[in-house]
Amino acid sequence: MNFKIPNFVKTNQFGLLCLVIIFICIFSFSTDGFTSRFNIYALSRVVALDIMIGLAMMVVILTGGLNLSLGALGVSAAMFGGWCMESMGIPISISIILVLAFGSFLGWINGFVTVRTGVHSFIVTLATMSIYFGFMTLLTEAEAFRKLPEIFTDFGSLKLFNKYISPLLIISVLTCFILYYVFKYTDIGRKLIAAGANPDAAELSGISVDRMFIYCHMLSGFLAALAGIMLTARIGAAIPSMAGHLGFDWLLPAFLAPVLGGTLLSGGKVTVFGTMLGAILVTLINNGLYLIDVGEFWVRFFLGMILLGAVLLDRAREYLTVKNSIVS
Amino acid sequence: MSDNILELKKITKNFPGVKALDNANFSLKKKSIHALLGENGAGKSTLIKIITGVYNQNEGELFLNNKAQSFNSPNEAMNSGISVVHQERNLIRRFSVGENLMLTNLPKNNLGLIDYNAVAKESKKWLDIMELDIDPNTIVSDLTVAKMQLCEIAKALSLESKILLLDEPTSSLSPQDTKNLFVLLKRLVAEQDVSIVFVSHKLEEVFEICDEVTVLRDGKNACESEQITNLNRQQLVKLMIGRDEQIINSKKEVNFDDKNLLNLQSINTDLGHKDINLNLKKGEILGLYGLVGAGRTELLKCVLGLEKINSGQILLNDKEIKIKSPKDALEKFKIGYISEDRKKEGLILIHDVLSNAGITVWSNLKKILSFLNDQIVYNKVDPYVKQLEVKTPSYQQIVSNLSGGNQQKISVAKWLASGTDILFIDEPTVGIDIKTKSYLHELIIDLSLKGTSIILITSDMPEMISLADRIITMKDFKVVGETINNHNYAQMSSSIMDNIHE
Repeated sequence: MNFKIPNFVKTNQFGLLCLVIIFICIFSFSTDGFTSRFNIYALSRVVALDIMIGLAMMVVILTGGLNLSLGALGVSAAMFGGWCMESMGIPISISIILVLAFGSFLGWINGFVTVRTGVHSFIVTLATMSIYFGFMTLLTEAEAFRKLPEIFTDFGSLKLFNKYISPLLIISVLTCFILYYVFKYTDIGRKLIAAGANPDAAELSGISVDRMFIYCHMLSGFLAALAGIMLTARIGAAIPSMAGHLGFDWLLPAFLAPVLGGTLLSGGKVTVFGTMLGAILVTLINNGLYLIDVGEFWVRFFLGMILLGAVLLDRAREYLTVKNSIVS
Repeated sequence: MSDNILELKKITKNFPGVKALDNANFSLKKKSIHALLGENGAGKSTLIKIITGVYNQNEGELFLNNKAQSFNSPNEAMNSGISVVHQERNLIRRFSVGENLMLTNLPKNNLGLIDYNAVAKESKKWLDIMELDIDPNTIVSDLTVAKMQLCEIAKALSLESKILLLDEPTSSLSPQDTKNLFVLLKRLVAEQDVSIVFVSHKLEEVFEICDEVTVLRDGKNACESEQITNLNRQQLVKLMIGRDEQIINSKKEVNFDDKNLLNLQSINTDLGHKDINLNLKKGEILGLYGLVGAGRTELLKCVLGLEKINSGQILLNDKEIKIKSPKDALEKFKIGYISEDRKKEGLILIHDVLSNAGITVWSNLKKILSFLNDQIVYNKVDPYVKQLEVKTPSYQQIVSNLSGGNQQKISVAKWLASGTDILFIDEPTVGIDIKTKSYLHELIIDLSLKGTSIILITSDMPEMISLADRIITMKDFKVVGETINNHNYAQMSSSIMDNIHE
């Protein structure tokens, strides 16, 4: 064989892009209204959130860990934001900064406890998930904040580009570009990846691995809080149950996006745009299946199957990354 | 019919882009010890993996007891009596010796539960054959490295193996343990009808123990089943590297002044080091010799701040310093550490050459807002990667796909790039081919001549004596002796061994 396959074609992202296109074709032909302005706008609002929580999970998977408290953390931050804006009357911009700082702080707790105890972040974030959600429910008495400033809620229902796209999607895509830049073109991004890939080697090469891991958890908290604000803007209120009990509703898409996207579960490899494509694929399947009207159960069933398939893919990818002499 | 227990004829194995083996032959006589030699990347490991069923050859045939055979899995090879004792230990550390030995065939009692008395009794049988004085109930992690190695051989015997492949079996053994191992191997061959394939980079050992030798170079036979008595060391080296060995003239004329660069004073550590005093002068190569478990690597890790120092002082240029972490050591005090374990601690195997070679210099190279791109890193590390003659198709190559020698060069290159004043170099040439080894030796001497101070840990006595200016001997986490090196092998080695066995 003499013809050369372009490198891009061999990447995971290319496969994902093909899948996304295939699903768009299938759903466009098999359902009414998939390509309608209303549906595309609705999709853009959902996909914006899925990208953000996918990224929030991705930055912790980078360390070889997990963040199960993602949903609880995001909702807690969102409720804090609701309290700032509604009860305290703090201006929107300052409230948002406070919420992001609060999310980073909760992420810092996750990271600090993980690093100091040496316990796997699975256990630590399982605990903090319950703690954050419990505290939040206690403090808010499970009451929602529904009288948020109009400018804020209007932003969530704003329609751009001939009313096809939500501004929330622009925030998510912009975040992708910023993260890509950080991981590719900064000293700190490289150190985060190195620490995740082989903590021992990174430590001995003069990288403070503990600090890097804490940064990853803080970044995860930051992004989860951002997702929380976006969801609040979208539904126009901060509601304790908006991500399901303990924030469970976020977990499946949060895992699916990065794992489908090509992030190694064992850590040390991230693909920001892969995560974005993964999130798009998940949202498409979700949305398409609802439109076909197969019922809630089947949607969950399929998403679960996809996650299992993606995990198998992850194993294969790890094997190939190490064993194969063909570099992607 | 021949008296070969194992024969491989015209074996060819292709990998994408590489012909790892090219019409290679190998034959193992019954009851013999056969050396398989070659530089890293010559095809030794591929040949072993074909013998043990990990790979299938593309062309050629494998005969076991004169019958054509093909193994589709390591299990099949094992059942046919072929066992490998790897460099990496394959024992389950938390299990007892007996459990490990009997793992695939644990004796059960009437209730179907494991009969631990039988486990102990059965495994004792194999330990006795090897004349090993180990209680089968000992937990493996409590054994010394040498004993673990012997247990692995006992395990192979318990599987009724008739062919043993030993891959660098002495790389972490002391000279005494090595001697014991060789006595045992000779006895196994004589009494247990075992045939042994012996892979090693240490030619002294090959001459000491092997009957025949096969050398591979670039996947082809450089020699095939040659009687070891027909060859001398020079000829063997020439077969391996295709040219004569370059003997480095390691004697250097340096007069060190009295000033200490780095000085450890009465250091006691959490790990058990007692009252350690060390000093290192500018441009000096200070050797730390000792058996495995003497606490040498551990001492350096304490100095780097990875483990706690309970009392004592570290002085740098006569000023007391506190090193909190390797980051501190690198950035504040310009001290670097080249790890003995390049796969676990030296390199990030799943990352590419550029990020591995550049990891120590990112902090220095970053621009405003922590900006850093590949070009900046490349400009900095390229001279060092070139200087070390790292063979890689590109800087984007994943490091795990490079040969051991090239991997080691990269873990050295990153510290050269960092420009440290003091380098801790830990077992720099374990499992490295001769060419790279002598290259690294020259490099270490060259570095010291240019003013870098080096603390060198090596268990390879010839290496120690050709490189070090002064040799400190450690035993049981204590310093037991100090000798100025006069580069006379016989004198130095006996004085060092005296220190250890006093």
